[in-house]
Amino acid sequence: MTTTRLAIASALAAALVLPAATQAQGNMERCYGVAKAGKNDCQTAKSSCAGTSKTDAQNDAWISVPKGVCDKLVGGKTTAG
Amino acid sequence: MPLALRDLQRAFAAQLSAEAQPALAAEIVPASARLRIHRHHMLDSLASALAATFPTVQAVVGADFFRGLARAFIGQSLPSQPVLAEYGAGFPAFIAGNGANRDLPYLADVARLDWALNLAFHTPAGGGLAAADLATIPADQLPSLRLGLTPGTVLVASPYPLDRIWAASQPEAAVDAVDLAAGGVRLLVLRRPDDAAFVSLSEAEAAFVGGLVDGLSLEEAAGRAETGFDLSACFSRLLGLGVLAAAQ
Repeated sequence: MTTTRLAIASALAAALVLPAATQAQGNMERCYGVAKAGKNDCQTAKSSCAGTSKTDAQNDAWISVPKGVCDKLVGGKTTAG
Repeated sequence: MPLALRDLQRAFAAQLSAEAQPALAAEIVPASARLRIHRHHMLDSLASALAATFPTVQAVVGADFFRGLARAFIGQSLPSQPVLAEYGAGFPAFIAGNGANRDLPYLADVARLDWALNLAFHTPAGGGLAAADLATIPADQLPSLRLGLTPGTVLVASPYPLDRIWAASQPEAAVDAVDLAAGGVRLLVLRRPDDAAFVSLSEAEAAFVGGLVDGLSLEEAAGRAETGFDLSACFSRLLGLGVLAAAQ
């Protein structure tokens, strides 16, 4: 076994004997709610009203400018051009 | 002669309570308008499903813009299977090739993070190897070991500070501004018992994980990381996260 391989074997073996409590998990962002309340596969219960518009409004939103938190993202342009 | 809306509604209500309304049977509401209801219903349902799967994208651009983005995507990519939670795999790529990504160049990466979190969330939890599972392996064989990632675990790398963009997009986030030039991130998205989550990896850690994903042994994967990489700490961290699994 080469020195390098020996060092790697030692490092890996050392990780296995660390108490679980010392296994730092670091800064974890948790996503409750990636979540999906009410998201079923048919949505007939609640969305039929929203879909009954008789006018075609396909393009109205598309030309609108983003209005979300992208304003907070410095350096991110919010307009075309 | 079309009925006034109020009369139409009255007739419709009467029809529902089993009193036949001949006027309704006629072409009062043209077939094209009735068919349009189905069209809007489909578009709305799919756009809502995309909004649920890509909440960060929607938070970044706002609901109206997202709607337009979603409808443009739906127009060229209808679901190929019935599970709405699995709809939208192509949305990040669509955004990347769309005008929106020219103005908001980080948006496609935000979508990739949302999609990874969605996949992780819909993956059964558990199955990760713990240190005890590997304790019986002789130390001199550990370098040759090949491990993979648990289902749902995936590395999302971006030249933008995706973690901070995500944090700023959360409801009630108290973030004033995110500096897009703050540098890139390598986020490991993973399934936890009750939710999906992500942790930020260093470049060396990400190189090591990338090596494992490519099927390298632990020793070979460690070789991908820079000199001075703390293999022991990284291996311990990954085991603690429960993201390592037997190679497929």
